[in-house]
Amino acid sequence: MSRKTDEYFKNVPMKSYDLIKEGLIVFGVVSVLIIVLAIIFSSPDYPTVRAKQIATYEPISYLQTFTDILLGKSEISNYGPPYDNDVKNTQSLFGIAPAKILGTTIPINAVNDFVIDPLTRLAVIDKNVQTSLDQFKNASSQQRQVWIDNYSKALDNATAVNGKVQIVNGDYGPLPVMMNGLLLLGRSGLLEGALQKNESPYDFYNLNYTKPLLLFQGKVYHSVAKSLNMLGEDWGIANETGNYPGAWWLWPYAFFYQIPSVSTSPNGDLEVGLIMIGLFLVLLFLPVIPILNKIPKWVKVYRIIWRDWYKR
Amino acid sequence: MNLTRKTQEVIRDNMSMEDALPTKMPIYVNSFAYIFGVITLSALGFVVITGIILAAFGPQWYHFSNAGHFVNSLHFWGVEVFFSALLAHLITKFFMAAWRDGRWKTWVIGMFAFALSIFEAYTGYLSQTNWDSQWIAVQAKDAMNALGIGGFFNTMNTGQILTLHVAVIPLILVAFVFIHLIVVRSDGPVKPLEKKDSGRKK
Ligand code: HEM
Repeated sequence: MSRKTDEYFKNVPMKSYDLIKEGLIVFGVVSVLIIVLAIIFSSPDYPTVRAKQIATYEPISYLQTFTDILLGKSEISNYGPPYDNDVKNTQSLFGIAPAKILGTTIPINAVNDFVIDPLTRLAVIDKNVQTSLDQFKNASSQQRQVWIDNYSKALDNATAVNGKVQIVNGDYGPLPVMMNGLLLLGRSGLLEGALQKNESPYDFYNLNYTKPLLLFQGKVYHSVAKSLNMLGEDWGIANETGNYPGAWWLWPYAFFYQIPSVSTSPNGDLEVGLIMIGLFLVLLFLPVIPILNKIPKWVKVYRIIWRDWYKR
Repeated sequence: MNLTRKTQEVIRDNMSMEDALPTKMPIYVNSFAYIFGVITLSALGFVVITGIILAAFGPQWYHFSNAGHFVNSLHFWGVEVFFSALLAHLITKFFMAAWRDGRWKTWVIGMFAFALSIFEAYTGYLSQTNWDSQWIAVQAKDAMNALGIGGFFNTMNTGQILTLHVAVIPLILVAFVFIHLIVVRSDGPVKPLEKKDSGRKK
């Protein structure tokens, strides 16, 4: 052995051992165990939630997603960094808001990106959409606000018959045509593509789903998650679909979100994040933290672990 | 100074063939507590192998192929076994106070491997390209954004997440595990805690 280990194991009796054999045996047993678990329990693979289904089966929620954006009250409106510069909702502790450091690295303009852009693409195919879009863009902001308010109120009382959204007559300006355009775009299955497209010369390839994911993250995703018991109060991301163990190692993380003062705090994510970083540092430096590093001595589990040694 | 000679000396002082591939062990290495590290390592190896197969066929293969779905199940259960063993390893090493006699390096490197494993599993969930990935991406982004990480680590940028999951993090994780094992073998298993009535001389 090396000088170091020779010294360390002086006076310690040794026994014969075969590292490679032990390793192979354990690897074999572990492999069999995993194969058996995979055969018996398989694995979850719940299909994606797409605009096409939402537009077809929940047309009113689908349209409300867009009116919420126009009203400026969707999850993404005024989110703040990294999506926009509006910092009034940005989480901070002791006056420090980490999100502000890098600023707006993933710029999102909700109205343009989720409503105007996809309609601009549809307008190439449908002249009515072009006319309505022009009318919308050229109207004063007060006029637009009136249309949007009227339309969104009417939408709350609308009914869906055979997939068609029926709305009482009213002063909506170009909105019915625009909204119907978005609904059809959704039903055609082209909405996500329209959202992802941009004018970059490399746009042919797109591996980034930020916009399609941000669009329905609110009520729509939450209602799907609720039906699958995956909401935050059901321990959120530590869960997965079906009766699978999920990411149970995140339970300590999900746990802090169950504390009422944290779950209602506007800075909850930041608080839990910092608690977890703190806990990690405690674990990392455990060997040198007084009191904590004495626990093994007091708890005496080591006497069970090395009981054969102490029996000698 | 001759760097090569210096390196030779460092290796000679710290690692011999008998350290790297031991045929003898101190007799106190006779407990269930020593098996969890090996199980963690085995499960990690299993997850890497199944991960290579999944990656080779592309990220969406397993949705449409029975063979692919089975490999995915192997990968998934491999991860569950990995984390179970990892936690048991961490807890037993804690109760053994296995950081004694200079083994804090092993402990610290192990902790980094633990943190990387969590990050790796997280990007794995995000790379599934199914509903779970959609939901986790939009839920987890708020925490990332609040911490200021979201500005460069975007849970919804699937290209970024997938390359992190299949290449960047596993390479770093395996490197940490490798160093962990080198230090473990170089130091040898830590001696049992002193017990006054055991009559063992120091
Ligand atoms: C990817 C994760 C890890 C792998 C594959 C791994 C693997 C191993 C193996 C095979 C051993 C030698 C056998 C044994 O004593 O159990 C070992 C020893 C050790 N591990 Fe880990 N480990 C990992 C993570 C950790 C973590 C998270 C910690 C604690 C924070 C840790 C702390 C230790 C210590 C202190 C030893 C030395 C034990 C002694 O001297 O008796 N390891 N590890």
